[in-house]
Amino acid sequence: MTRKIVFLIAAAFLLATPIFAQTPAGGGGATDYRLPFAYLAMGIASGLCGLGQGKAVASAAEAMARNPGAQAGIRFALILGLVLIESLALYTLMITYIAK
Amino acid sequence: MEHEIWLTALLNHLLAGPADSVLKIMGVPHDAAHPWSNWMSMELLVVAIIVVLFAMLRSRLSVDNPGKLQHVFEVIYEFVQGQAHETIEHGSRPFVPFFGTIFIFILFMNLIGIIPGFESPTMSASVPLGLAVAVFFYYHWAGIREHGAKYVLHFFGPVWWLAPIMFVIEIISHLARPLSLTVRLFANMFAGEKVTAAFLMLTYLFIPSIFIGLHVFVALLQAYIFALLAMIYVGGAVAHEH
Repeated sequence: MTRKIVFLIAAAFLLATPIFAQTPAGGGGATDYRLPFAYLAMGIASGLCGLGQGKAVASAAEAMARNPGAQAGIRFALILGLVLIESLALYTLMITYIAK
Repeated sequence: MEHEIWLTALLNHLLAGPADSVLKIMGVPHDAAHPWSNWMSMELLVVAIIVVLFAMLRSRLSVDNPGKLQHVFEVIYEFVQGQAHETIEHGSRPFVPFFGTIFIFILFMNLIGIIPGFESPTMSASVPLGLAVAVFFYYHWAGIREHGAKYVLHFFGPVWWLAPIMFVIEIISHLARPLSLTVRLFANMFAGEKVTAAFLMLTYLFIPSIFIGLHVFVALLQAYIFALLAMIYVGGAVAHEH
């Protein structure tokens, strides 16, 4: 049943294909979809970065609860991991600024 | 041309001639009337502040009766040295001055942007790029000094029959290191400023100060991470396989 619904929704999206036939606002030439796609990319990057960081924090919190003596090392690994994951989302932000 | 802060405008007014000549000799494209950029003047200001601070510290060093400034810098030194010792097991002492410089320099550069009227030099892409290139050459130089010509063996991986593909992978990953260092520092500082500015446009009472607080925390963290990654790279370069 869910598969039917998913396919129906996908088909409904395909009904929107005439949007590609509209004339671009600036007259001929290539329409500039770089910026909207860059925004979409930033959204995806931030979402996935949130998931990754959430997993990192969850396992760090559980490890600290299991082994309170190792808190300093776990905290260090947590901060390092969070910063490195954060930087991945920031690379996408840079693409947004370059696409302008 | 972005908005010039007061220091840059002052330097452009007084020292436009010499800066113009220097940039012409180096072949850098620039605007002849405004050769000083915001990041150049702020970076030199941060250097001047650090030199004055350390000169003051040096004159007040005392073993029996340490003052507050000495205590603060002892804490910073212990922190950097301890972290270097943890990351690089043997022979971390010669590298501690470099890591300490990187840490304190980036910290001051990040924090000076919070004061109104000043701009973080790390907000322009040139400054983190220069620091990342310096770290890149430093850790390769440290590796060559430690291993001599055998340093190239680091690029070939663990077994000889993986060497061709490992070489390509290692070259690419080594080139990605300064890129990631640059973008991480630059994007964090730049985005922090833009987010604060965006929230200042929306509401001017209390919410932007939360973002400035977050920016202070991020500034500290990014300085620490840059120094830590420099330590990890140097540690990887001077490591002896057992």
